[in-house]
Amino acid sequence: MRIFWVLLKKELRAFFVSPVAYIVLALVMVLSGFSFRAALSVLESAPSEGSIVTWTFHAMWFWLSYFFIFPLLTMRLFAEEKKMGTLETLFTAPVHAWQVVWSKYLAAVFVYCVLWIPSYLNFRFVDWITVGQVEVPIGALKGSYLILLAMGLFNLAIGCFASSLTSNQIIAAVISFTISLLHFLAGLFIMVVGRRVSETFVDIINYFASMEHIRIFTSGLIDTRPLVYYTSFALLFIALTHQVVEFRRWRP
Amino acid sequence: MISKVAFLGVGSFNVDPFITFTFITIDPMIEVQDLTKQYAGRTAVDHISFKVEPGEIVGFLGPNGAGKSTTMRMLAGYMPPSSGRASVNGHDVFQASMEVRRSVGYMPEMAPLYTDMRVKEYLRFRAQLKGLSGKTLRQRVGDVMDQCAITDVRRRLIGNLSKGYRQRVALADALVHQPPLLILDEPTNGLDPVQIRHVRELLKSLGPNHTILLSTHILQEVEAICDRVIMIHQGKIRAIDTPGNLTRKLRAASIVQLELQGKGDFITQLEALPGVRKATEDSVQDGWRVFSLRVEARHDAREAIMDLCLRETWKIRELHWQLPSLEDVFVELAATEAAKA
Repeated sequence: MRIFWVLLKKELRAFFVSPVAYIVLALVMVLSGFSFRAALSVLESAPSEGSIVTWTFHAMWFWLSYFFIFPLLTMRLFAEEKKMGTLETLFTAPVHAWQVVWSKYLAAVFVYCVLWIPSYLNFRFVDWITVGQVEVPIGALKGSYLILLAMGLFNLAIGCFASSLTSNQIIAAVISFTISLLHFLAGLFIMVVGRRVSETFVDIINYFASMEHIRIFTSGLIDTRPLVYYTSFALLFIALTHQVVEFRRWRP
Repeated sequence: MISKVAFLGVGSFNVDPFITFTFITIDPMIEVQDLTKQYAGRTAVDHISFKVEPGEIVGFLGPNGAGKSTTMRMLAGYMPPSSGRASVNGHDVFQASMEVRRSVGYMPEMAPLYTDMRVKEYLRFRAQLKGLSGKTLRQRVGDVMDQCAITDVRRRLIGNLSKGYRQRVALADALVHQPPLLILDEPTNGLDPVQIRHVRELLKSLGPNHTILLSTHILQEVEAICDRVIMIHQGKIRAIDTPGNLTRKLRAASIVQLELQGKGDFITQLEALPGVRKATEDSVQDGWRVFSLRVEARHDAREAIMDLCLRETWKIRELHWQLPSLEDVFVELAATEAAKA
């Protein structure tokens, strides 16, 4: 366990010493500012059913930031070590593969969580400035961050896996970008063809459509199905990453 | 006596593995039996067997792509063998990988390091991974930085260091947990001559508590520091011997150099001597004519040459018998391989 903490500390350090974390943080701050502004203008223009939370997470800006986060945070994890050859020094020290995999993954999860702090502060600010005139539903807010965490766990696990497959960071980034994009496009697909196909089909697609999940959670509902979907697939991909890393040690 | 018993124990491996195991824990630091590694259909290491006793410095010598790095990676617990077995400090490299890694200080080829870390920070990180903590950690990190002469760059980013420094940082990492066995893959690669000498002195000074297996394709290196040489070529062991013996066993012809002044047909007369194959005049230096003679293997022609000079009243300024270097062994080895193929 001590070894695990040493590794986790090193991974976190790698994020915050290199410009990666700051660039992603700046990007997400700007884009969440835009999405927040977009939500405010919707509320200004006309009375609306949705709260400020709903509109913020439905803004195009939010999805733009969402797609960039995962490749940027995870592409480095294994691909860089493979390219530099440091994976060899790492695995000739007395460390277990699970310690390496989990330390890298959890460091990425930690940075991911930090990224949403500015957007949360936006909500606190509006509450403070308007002295509670604009209603910020706490339940919806908690639900939104819960589903964001679940989506993060899932996408970061995929990014981790993609990075373990290759020594080329670009390839790793493209794989993880594609998977999160597909989850978004599934929702868009249903929005376009929803009326013309059977209800069962819509239900199946909605089961992994990120947009649908965001819609449900930002309206203050907690649906356990997407939570189970995201976390179980996250575990699966972490297990796969572990296998890829250990593959070297398989006997033919 | 112990070594003899252990040897018998190893010999009886097929009969009684348990007894063998108990004996191996006493004896050799590295024991390799029929080790084979195949990558994608290619055999990188082909049924090699050897032993390294505690305290020995053994050189792994071979051209690039001979299988040195692959063997070392298997011994360091990085990859498992395809077949055969290897044990380090009594632990099987596949079954007990963690114990093996704890007893090995491994320095990979090209010395890969985290370029975004500072030297001291990196060594602290590596020492922690290897289980050091607190006072011992601080002490050891300080010690290895002194030993490897990198204390003056301890706050620099590794990415900004020269190749020579990086190489020594990697060496410090291998030494930091005081492992009984050091496995160093081309430790002096990329160093300048002063640094090379420094590293060699350092390795020699580690003394009997450390066993060292190092690979190189530089022959002077093994001649300078190794007790034994394992020559490997195309995945197979070609020779295991002391550097001196290898040179002596050499079949390649040796060379005698001499500088003469006088009258007469030097070449014909020299070539007429018994054992001399060919005489050539290399140059003329301030009136002295420089010759080199290729003589039969292990044939010392110096006395006969001296007699000839006295008979012909030639003046002689130099007479030098050059022993063949390992380089010659190596060239010949490669040449015979090429001829066979």
